Amino acid sequence: MEWQEVVKRLLQNKISLLGILIILFFIIVAVFAPWIAPPRDPDDPYLIPRAGWSIEPQPPSDEYIFGTTEGQYDIFYGIVWGTRTAFRIGLIVVGISTSIGIVLGTIAAYYGGWIDEILMRITDIFMSIPFIIATIVLVTILGQGLTNVMIALITFSWMSTARLMRSQVLSVKEDEFVQAALALGANDFRIIFRHIILNTIFPVVIQASMRMGSMVITASTLSFLGVGTPEGYADWGQMISFARNWILGVEGNPLNYWYTLIIPGVAITLFCLSWNLIGDAFRDILDPKLN
Amino acid sequence: MNKQALVEVKNLKTYFYTEEGIVKAVDGVDYEIYPGETLGIVGESGCGKSVTSLSIMRLVESPPGRIEAGEINFQGKDLTKISEKEMRKIRGNDISMIFQEPMTSLNPVYTVGDQIIEAIMLHKDVNRKEARKQAIDMLKKVGIPLPEQRVDEYPHQLSGGMRQRVMIAMALSCDPKLLIADEPTTALDVTIQAQILELMNSLKESYGMSIMMITHDLGVIAEVSDRVAVMYAGKVVEYTDVDTLFDDPKHPYTWGLMNSIPKLDKDVDRLEAIPGSVPSPLNFPKGCKFNTRCPLAEGKCYDEEPPLEEAAAGHKVRCWRYKDLEEIKKRGERIYEDRGVQK
Amino acid sequence: MIAYIARRLLILPIILFGVSMLIFSMIMMLGPYQRLSTYINDPAQLKGAEDIDQLVSKYGLNDPWYEQYGRWIGGVLKGDFGWSESAGAPVTKAIADRFPATLELALLSLVPVIFGGIILGVLSAVHHNKALDHTIRIFAVIGWSFPSFVFGLIVLMIFYGVLGWLPPGRLSNWATEIVRSADFVSYTGMYILDGILNFNFSIVLDAIRHLIAPVITISILWWAFILRITRSNMLETLKKDYIRTARAKGLADNIVVYKHAVRNALIPVVTVAGQMVLGLAGGLVIVESIFNIRGLGQFMANAAQQLDYPGVLGGALYFGFLLILINLFVDVSYAVIDPRIRLE
Repeated sequence: MEWQEVVKRLLQNKISLLGILIILFFIIVAVFAPWIAPPRDPDDPYLIPRAGWSIEPQPPSDEYIFGTTEGQYDIFYGIVWGTRTAFRIGLIVVGISTSIGIVLGTIAAYYGGWIDEILMRITDIFMSIPFIIATIVLVTILGQGLTNVMIALITFSWMSTARLMRSQVLSVKEDEFVQAALALGANDFRIIFRHIILNTIFPVVIQASMRMGSMVITASTLSFLGVGTPEGYADWGQMISFARNWILGVEGNPLNYWYTLIIPGVAITLFCLSWNLIGDAFRDILDPKLN
Repeated sequence: MNKQALVEVKNLKTYFYTEEGIVKAVDGVDYEIYPGETLGIVGESGCGKSVTSLSIMRLVESPPGRIEAGEINFQGKDLTKISEKEMRKIRGNDISMIFQEPMTSLNPVYTVGDQIIEAIMLHKDVNRKEARKQAIDMLKKVGIPLPEQRVDEYPHQLSGGMRQRVMIAMALSCDPKLLIADEPTTALDVTIQAQILELMNSLKESYGMSIMMITHDLGVIAEVSDRVAVMYAGKVVEYTDVDTLFDDPKHPYTWGLMNSIPKLDKDVDRLEAIPGSVPSPLNFPKGCKFNTRCPLAEGKCYDEEPPLEEAAAGHKVRCWRYKDLEEIKKRGERIYEDRGVQK
Repeated sequence: MIAYIARRLLILPIILFGVSMLIFSMIMMLGPYQRLSTYINDPAQLKGAEDIDQLVSKYGLNDPWYEQYGRWIGGVLKGDFGWSESAGAPVTKAIADRFPATLELALLSLVPVIFGGIILGVLSAVHHNKALDHTIRIFAVIGWSFPSFVFGLIVLMIFYGVLGWLPPGRLSNWATEIVRSADFVSYTGMYILDGILNFNFSIVLDAIRHLIAPVITISILWWAFILRITRSNMLETLKKDYIRTARAKGLADNIVVYKHAVRNALIPVVTVAGQMVLGLAGGLVIVESIFNIRGLGQFMANAAQQLDYPGVLGGALYFGFLLILINLFVDVSYAVIDPRIRLE
């Protein structure tokens, strides 16, 4: 299937269209963040401004439309600039880890033999430790901060792409077209490469789309557990960790501080949902077995 | 023939409702199958021959498929009208079916015995022990060596030919009146093909059942059929007994099919080929559906679909110009381009 | 099948060695002083700053890496993972204390994941493209997108904060007292099982009440995962030739689906079970720290927050080894289910 056809079908499908619209919304928020929520300190826009020093969250008001969370951090500002953080994490982590996976998977499948064996065993080893736990360990050792979080996420997330790519290339290698080209002694790497890429790229793209959401979730989980971004950094996970001490509300009104949890919770869930909706629809379109 | 037909298919239409449009896979088909005979259904892939057989079994995937119109009369019942529950009593019992791919037609996680026993116990009132005995018996009848051992093996432990024998054993385990065989030998080696066809012929004799043999291979038709229906684009285009068909094909399509296969017994030095391919069922041409490929097509052929008309006693053909074809044949001319030289 | 299992067993030491090397290389990213903590089994050993330098050379923390690896792995094999500052106990003891709570939670979480996921996946496939299928899929994609920590906190807010039904922790105070009393024998450390064995069913009910919220939170993600895989395998299986054969035999739809299709469709689901167990283990970290369950996951989270290196590394190594064994078990059971592998 050609790209144009795939894009056309993604736009026709109501579910993926919804996903695309939500992502477009987030993109607009991320791009126009400096106008939507002008930073107090233009040199450090990711630092959430504080409305005071009191620890107790304050409900939405005219000045702070989403209210303030623990430590008087402005929730609206955190959500807007957190969108940028989410895109940075998603695009950088997924981009780099997918590239690593593509390269290693292709090498393993193309050369086979002991190279394949070694690469796949390394993959197994990296997959043996639960993802969240592995990233916690690495961030603990490297130290807090967004860059270290991304390094940890990349280190432990390339394996599934490598495996997928390997199996894809192996099956394409068996294709009559490639077999014939190889049998003819074709040196035309360009054709083979093009053929392999065209036939393997879609599943990798689907997987990458699904991973956009899960990487952002994992990064915010790290922040939530207190090993992610430094305090005050515009990051949805951290905003939720601020909410943690307030979810039981006050005597007589357990929902008193709902906004500290629900607003950042909705932002992160919608972000992941939109990528998963697209990935899901994408897979339905491309998987002939399911039609 | 004055005998009472076992199966009588009348104006059967099976359509598929797809996103791209309505696919008229079977579009008004008529034929009969008499007790004890083999009806061959031949045509290129996509002509609707498999769909007619699945329609008889009511196994057309629905949605998107649907039997749109027509009757399938079997033992006084119209199979298109009866309930699903009644239909299940007929499937595997009165009418059985075997398929093209013996490698994938058996469930890989159950032993062949389990799968045959399941069919026997479903339709016959016997206990498991007796069913197992009958299953072993059936395996012996279809020529599987060491049936007592094979019965407990899994499909992947058997070869393709053996699996097709298992399929036949399973299909015949309840003494069906009709066996539908959908390209049963296409996926097999040539030597195995001959063995399977021979087996089917001999079992037909001993069971006195009828067979509906669906194939694209005229060689198979010649070997097993009594009568033949040639299908093209969802319709029967020629319908007669096997000898007449081979001696005197009246439809240009049948003629093309026959002259495109090399013959050892005739001194033919050139082969003909039908140009082009089957039109898309989404987009059939107006008039005769063969007109995009027919060298004789002219005027009327492009406007009006010809009826299936009795050209001679017991020989029906769907062509406006079959008489002209007769003349051409008499002159010993060809209608198709040469495909190449046969030496 | 023997060759298949033998291959798995041959690879096992390679993987175990690889995981230990991976963890070790992360340890080596730390400086010698930080690494010292993995060798201290009791803070009382440290008296002053000069002692630390002595200890660094005593434990050879400036030696070549392979010598250090040898000593470290030697200690690990003897069960010596160092002192955990966050737990205030040796890592081995901290892990042993917390393991039952985690096991109880993990085992219970498998129930909704496997049964809910598989049953709904099959239903969704059987009703392909109908209303039921769409509804199930929408819930699945939402479940898949919901971060567990957000979901867990919302559950806590509503079912504990507002309704007061599902409190955090493992037991209520009165129950904790009973469990700690001399009359109550702790056979397994898993309260539900221990309650049954002690014939104290109020403990069982209290433990269940405390487990409902964490089990739901942990399973929401993996329930959706299993559902998705079951559904697509089922759809694929329903198109197989042998399904048509089964229908052609005259079998009823239910038998065709539940006898002939489900078993085939579930074989590939088993292969992802290993992946799911890994994910569940990760989820434990979040859920245990949200619901205040004193288990391995909470231990890992606390250790990470307090930069307790021995705790984090020991926990990761322990999780890693445990999961490798579980995956081995999954691989073997896969071979048992599928006759094509079993009889090879």
